[in-house]
Amino acid sequence: MDYIREKAPPVREDRLKACNAFGGSCCELNRIGKKGCLNGVKRTFAQTQGCQLNLSLAILNTIRNAVIVVHAPIGCGGSSLSTAGISKNFQKLRDPNAKGLIWLNTNLDDNDVVGGGEEKLRSAVLYAESEFRPEAIIVVNSCVPAIIGDDIDSILNDLQKQISAKIVPIHCEGFKTKIMASAYDSVYHGILRNLLDKPEDTRKEIYEDELEILKEKYRKSRTVNILNVSSMSRQDEEELTRLVKALGLEVRIYPCYASADDFAYVDDAALNVSICATHDDYFVEHIKEKYGIPFVLRSIPIGIKNTDQWILDIAKFFGLEENAKRLVEAEAKELREALEPFKEQLKGKRVFLGGGEIRILSTAELLQSMGMEVVGLKGYHYDHFAEPLLELVENSENIIFNVATGQPFEQANLLKRLEPDLYVGHTGTNGYTAKQGFPIYPLFGQSSIYMGYLGAYEIVRRIARVLKNPIFNRNFIGNSRLPYRDEWYGQNPFTYIDDSAAL
Amino acid sequence: MSKFIDRPRYLCALGGAIGTLENLPRTIPILHAAAGCGGNISNALNYASGYLGSGYCAGQALSSSNVYEQEIVFGGEDRLCEQVENTLKIMDGDLYFLVSGCMVEMIGDDVKGVAKKFKDRDVALLAADTGGFHGNSFKGYDIVLGTLFKEFTLKKDVKNEKLLNLWGIVPIQDVFWKGNLENLKRLLEELGYQVNTFFGENETLDNLKNAGSAVLNIVVSDTAGIEPAKLFEEVHGVPYISVPLPIGPHGTEQFIRSISNRLGIEKAFADKVIQRHKARYFSYIERIADVYNDLDLQRYAVIVGDSSYAQALTRFLSDDLGWLPELVVITDILSEEQKEDVRKRFADLESGLSPRIVFDTDTSSIIRHFRDTWPSANGSKYFNTFSPAFILGSAFERALADELKAPHLSVTYPISNRVVMDRAYTGYDGAIRLTEDIFTTLVGTR
Repeated sequence: MDYIREKAPPVREDRLKACNAFGGSCCELNRIGKKGCLNGVKRTFAQTQGCQLNLSLAILNTIRNAVIVVHAPIGCGGSSLSTAGISKNFQKLRDPNAKGLIWLNTNLDDNDVVGGGEEKLRSAVLYAESEFRPEAIIVVNSCVPAIIGDDIDSILNDLQKQISAKIVPIHCEGFKTKIMASAYDSVYHGILRNLLDKPEDTRKEIYEDELEILKEKYRKSRTVNILNVSSMSRQDEEELTRLVKALGLEVRIYPCYASADDFAYVDDAALNVSICATHDDYFVEHIKEKYGIPFVLRSIPIGIKNTDQWILDIAKFFGLEENAKRLVEAEAKELREALEPFKEQLKGKRVFLGGGEIRILSTAELLQSMGMEVVGLKGYHYDHFAEPLLELVENSENIIFNVATGQPFEQANLLKRLEPDLYVGHTGTNGYTAKQGFPIYPLFGQSSIYMGYLGAYEIVRRIARVLKNPIFNRNFIGNSRLPYRDEWYGQNPFTYIDDSAAL
Repeated sequence: MSKFIDRPRYLCALGGAIGTLENLPRTIPILHAAAGCGGNISNALNYASGYLGSGYCAGQALSSSNVYEQEIVFGGEDRLCEQVENTLKIMDGDLYFLVSGCMVEMIGDDVKGVAKKFKDRDVALLAADTGGFHGNSFKGYDIVLGTLFKEFTLKKDVKNEKLLNLWGIVPIQDVFWKGNLENLKRLLEELGYQVNTFFGENETLDNLKNAGSAVLNIVVSDTAGIEPAKLFEEVHGVPYISVPLPIGPHGTEQFIRSISNRLGIEKAFADKVIQRHKARYFSYIERIADVYNDLDLQRYAVIVGDSSYAQALTRFLSDDLGWLPELVVITDILSEEQKEDVRKRFADLESGLSPRIVFDTDTSSIIRHFRDTWPSANGSKYFNTFSPAFILGSAFERALADELKAPHLSVTYPISNRVVMDRAYTGYDGAIRLTEDIFTTLVGTR
């Protein structure tokens, strides 16, 4: 993969043939998906969702010692208003002196739409430099300047000569893609192009002798980069670090909550380890291309099977399979014993999961291993990375799969038919589901642990707790209503998916 | 010319429009916009305004045409027609309202034209151009209210001498809007009037529909809602009065006096209402006479917020609580003329204090203004420090509070560190609530 000379990455509709509209069984999805037939499918009624700019900010807002410039009318990036407080807290878990999230909006108005917003961009970047002296100024480009033709790359190239912060343009204009996850590529594209260069290396002088150099080389050969995601918690990172360190390896964590300058040393490692292909394929492929560093991308360490696999994949690279087998056997045995007491309560409970394709499928596998019955899945998008996970899910011919970014109207209809005992969902749709009365466990959270063996235990333990008293949500039945007409619930939930344009 | 903004405390015109529409009873907004507009706005509206939640038809449930590159190239009106048609089939509401985002306006899509295509249907369907670049949330509020007054409110030749309309308290931008409207409505009811606030408890779209028969419109702001008030006067012949947001006995007495003067209410009658409320207010406030004076709880203060809250909080702290507001930073985007109107609200404090008033939209500027206001100790042993102090602002001001080592309460948008339901700060009762919240913060470690 080598798009890095381009100003902007390709969108995922093109690069991965990803789709975001489908309704049918898991089997059917797997079959049709393999043919790549879902690309052109659309909705004739749609609800709002996020765009790649929103999601780009979710990642970029974590980067320490950076200032974000949102080049847009005043509302773009408004979602940061709700996360500014917790961003700082989470940054402080990595660095007690972290300054938290700082962003400027270039406030494009009627005049700029006619005359161009270049001057405002320039003044915002200069202000960011003089006021905050950050390591990086990350410029997030939105729809409006893309249409009015602001040439942000040449302005920023020009500004780079005047300031010491590294300027990182991110091309994540919302209207360019239906697949929000294109954001990961946009963000990594900006990082790859602008943050990887090392400063004039003064470190050579630090090594006193050959032995030191050898030691350093050895250290690098035993170091892995774990690529985290912004929906992970610090505890998730600690759990994954614990497991990889148990193999005798060193761990560093990128990209979320890293400091902007840290990226220059991303190549001081022997292996890149993704926790989710949806996030990382673009990055690891390019790093492999640029530095020859291989990667592990197969599975997400959620649930026992996937965590085992994740560790074994890493171990294989270092020739540590035997150690790893002992580790995963011991961990899995201890965990299975710990999970045993919850099985009685969870057995046969019917569950619906909604969110990122990789995450829902791996969580579904965990819940099936607890004796729960998965009755439906909603993936925010679908591409080939989900295939191996789809095959891990049992009974897939009977499980409904809805591909939808948000679209709570389809889900409300589906849930009314399926009547699950538990809904495991992505933030943003849980409120509506609560009003339908279903017990809910959030699919991810930045303050709790979901990954590795400890995460598997925590997911199960918490679900058992939620089910112990689901009355809060049940009380909404008859007291709260969703905005859909009664007739809607009588129709096929996928009525408004139009596949006439499918390839 | 406008400039960039460091951590803006508002959304765009579209954000303000959605925030306004989603809080009208049984109203279904339909966005003609890129897919991310609604999602971005919803996060800011829900999680940054005291956990408002996803509402009846808001959050990710918002109907949206989700235009992409193809529509941007070929035009999106067909897609919008399809979306409207299907929205009417699926979504259950009494009013449907088309709003546009930046992209579709730039390519020349005509949302009002699309709305007209549905005019033979038995459905209330309005439309407005609310592209984000037209302004901020306050602008969106003005555009939506203006459209509603012009096209939804019925023309009434016969006025109801006992009916008032009250607005200017912007849903979500004022996180306590619902309670605040309710408190003011009750005060005016005590003066013998019925009041439409459109967004208040137990109101329906009929309140908006029948608003044309009111005798007076009360705009509780110097800026928000003024344009729609002018339009209302033009269309329905109802005059308006602009009054500042009242918090506490001093501000609320002014509020009652201005309105009763305008309506020709007998002074003795207004006095009675004022006296009754003051008696109740002091019956509670005197409880803290002990702790206030035993622990010396007078504080210096910094106030940060929009022009409505800034003047209301300043007056309350200065004239009711007897505190010392030293710096007031007003974060709205205002014209020079508007700034003059706002500045006047600080001129007549009974305490005789004249806090420094600064208009600045940038969050990073606030600490600089503070340093310009209060000199630093520079290591002197004897120095009149800015202590003890208190910060009233938004959740952003926690950082300022940390820096000044002062306690802090979030009362202006954004508020992500409190859950707000029917809490209100306006009027006499609201001032009791605010006193509780402020002093709870002060004694919180005991």
